[in-house]
Amino acid sequence: MIEIKKVDNRPLNLLERLYIWEIFKGFLVTSGHFFRNLFNPKGLITVQYPEVKRPLEYAAKRRTRHRLKVRADGSPKCVACFLCATACPANCIHIEAAEYQANPVEKYPAVFDVDLARCVVCGMCVEACPEDAIAMDTEEIPGGALKREEMYLTREKLFRNLPGEPSLKGAANRLAQGGKGIGRG
Amino acid sequence: MPKLTIDGKTIEMPKGATILQAAQALGVYIPRYCYHPSLPVSGTCRMCVVEVEKTAKLQIACATEIADGMAVRTDTPAVKKARRDVLEYLLINHPVDCPICDQAGECFLQDYYMDHGLHKSRIAPGDKIRRSKRRAAGKYLTLDNERCILCTRCVRFCDEVTRTGELTVSGRNDASFIDMKEGKGVDNDYSLNIADICPVGAFTSRDFRFKARVWFLKKTGSICTGCAAGCNIEVHHNEGIVHRLMPAPNPETNTWLCDRGRMTYKVLRAGDRLSKARIKKGSMEPEPALRQAAHLIDDAAHRAGPESVAVLGSPYLSLEDNLAIAELASGSIKTGALCLDFSCEQGVKDGILINKDQTPNANGLKLLRARYGGLDQNALIGLINSGRIKLIVAEARALNSLREKLRDLSNIPTVILALAKSDLDFDSDCVLPYASYFETEGHFVNYKGRIQKTAAAVAAPEGVQPLWLVLSKISSYTGAPIKIEDTKAMSAKLSEYALGKSVIPAICKPGSIAAKSTRE
Repeated sequence: MIEIKKVDNRPLNLLERLYIWEIFKGFLVTSGHFFRNLFNPKGLITVQYPEVKRPLEYAAKRRTRHRLKVRADGSPKCVACFLCATACPANCIHIEAAEYQANPVEKYPAVFDVDLARCVVCGMCVEACPEDAIAMDTEEIPGGALKREEMYLTREKLFRNLPGEPSLKGAANRLAQGGKGIGRG
Repeated sequence: MPKLTIDGKTIEMPKGATILQAAQALGVYIPRYCYHPSLPVSGTCRMCVVEVEKTAKLQIACATEIADGMAVRTDTPAVKKARRDVLEYLLINHPVDCPICDQAGECFLQDYYMDHGLHKSRIAPGDKIRRSKRRAAGKYLTLDNERCILCTRCVRFCDEVTRTGELTVSGRNDASFIDMKEGKGVDNDYSLNIADICPVGAFTSRDFRFKARVWFLKKTGSICTGCAAGCNIEVHHNEGIVHRLMPAPNPETNTWLCDRGRMTYKVLRAGDRLSKARIKKGSMEPEPALRQAAHLIDDAAHRAGPESVAVLGSPYLSLEDNLAIAELASGSIKTGALCLDFSCEQGVKDGILINKDQTPNANGLKLLRARYGGLDQNALIGLINSGRIKLIVAEARALNSLREKLRDLSNIPTVILALAKSDLDFDSDCVLPYASYFETEGHFVNYKGRIQKTAAAVAAPEGVQPLWLVLSKISSYTGAPIKIEDTKAMSAKLSEYALGKSVIPAICKPGSIAAKSTRE
């Protein structure tokens, strides 16, 4: 249920039209906060971002900084299929694919960069991923860096498994399991 | 001629044509896997089934001959259900590993599933029959048996087109799979065509493997410069990088494309490519190096007379570039030691495509020779060997082709135009880079005398210009300009001098022909 607040649009009276008293009332509010924070800094409402970060609430948790999931052997779950880069409206994902010589998964991303300065945090890469390899559930707000280079996430910075992982989801997972062939050929 | 109706539309086709061909002529698309217009019909995939009036069962369109009064329907519920069922059957054991498959994006399984399938799989992923994954099949191919739908296009290609017969279907019924014959890899000269005609990801190219996703690729119609055949090609490129060359079928030139032709784009690859000039073994920006080249030419012409400068045309270069070479010799340097004679035996070598003449433009040189004259090859070689030549201006590969007959070149200064470092097997004090025919337009005359044009698909490295522009600038620095400064002046000169006004409209624009791809 949306709460409706009725705005009182009556004309200003003489005291209000003079503004002097109203300005004084405004200063009272400001200086009230100033002295309260001066003598009781623990009650500060302002968060000193990015040095201090507040835990996120509700929907804000759903799309945060990216991570790339890794398999049990430490290799990325990503197979460089480029679907995230295709879906990305901000063109912020740069991938270079390479071939495994021995690993049966065959394909992996030799380079996987996310440019957070370009990212619009839309989450389309996560939706597009057929391998369950990219996720945006680190609960860190992307960006908030002091240098531009820090906004550029390389493959190694993106690798991270959360507790309870690695999961076995993803199309290439059965290749990683090394399932032997039933049929010939 | 028999007259038949397909989906209510009437068409008359010559006797012996199939329903699929008639439908194609009418513009009715019938999905297919095993049928390929350039291969014999096998009728294995059953994807092209249609309903023919007065027949008990559905018929396959690719192998059913047309008859007078035949009424065919391709859109009935029975046909739609059959297509769906065939597709579900083909996909039963398919690994659906599209994320690691290079065919994804141009895969007939993906396309037809979206058009005709959209079913849920009734087989759990764990119950699918597994087959062997990637393995090398020859120099250029990778074979993945798990993705194969056994359409046998590849087997028929090796049997009927190249007649090398490396591939076969091994095993029986549901255990059958595509295999290489004992001790054989797919090592014929046309092996990459198999990757094109494979409708799924079973055969993929080892050269293109994981280089790019196909939906990012942009396509530019052009001409292969690998030999005198003049095959029409599509250059597939993205963000200024050429990733692969594909044939653009044209009944006048080619259906397929040979492996060597497909690798001609490698000249663009960094490392080997010249993007800077080399003056006395030091690297230099191309523009100031032109002054050095002009100085060398001026110096030799003043000291020993213009006749001491030899200028070589090149069968590897376009008409434009050779025209500029001829103009430089006769109009600017005013030397008689111009050689445009590089013709050699021509003709199809293997009965398919590859030409005996490995140069793309020997016939173009003949056109220019009719206008500019110049020395015979042997006369020029004699002149150089006699020591009367004090400077040679030439393109690297053209000079290389004469090396066997030439005496030691180390005493004669040269101005060499080269694309790649690997083309230089001798020392030169002045090497100038030029734009390749993936980066600039150029006319070539193939062995049949067909004049065709390459297209600029990607940009040349910074500062690198077309060869004719390089020569035009050199001539301005020597003080006797050939006055060809832009493409407009070039094409005017070309139509006036080399081609004659009547020939120009006959130039085919590759890619503009309704070229069906060989994947078809």
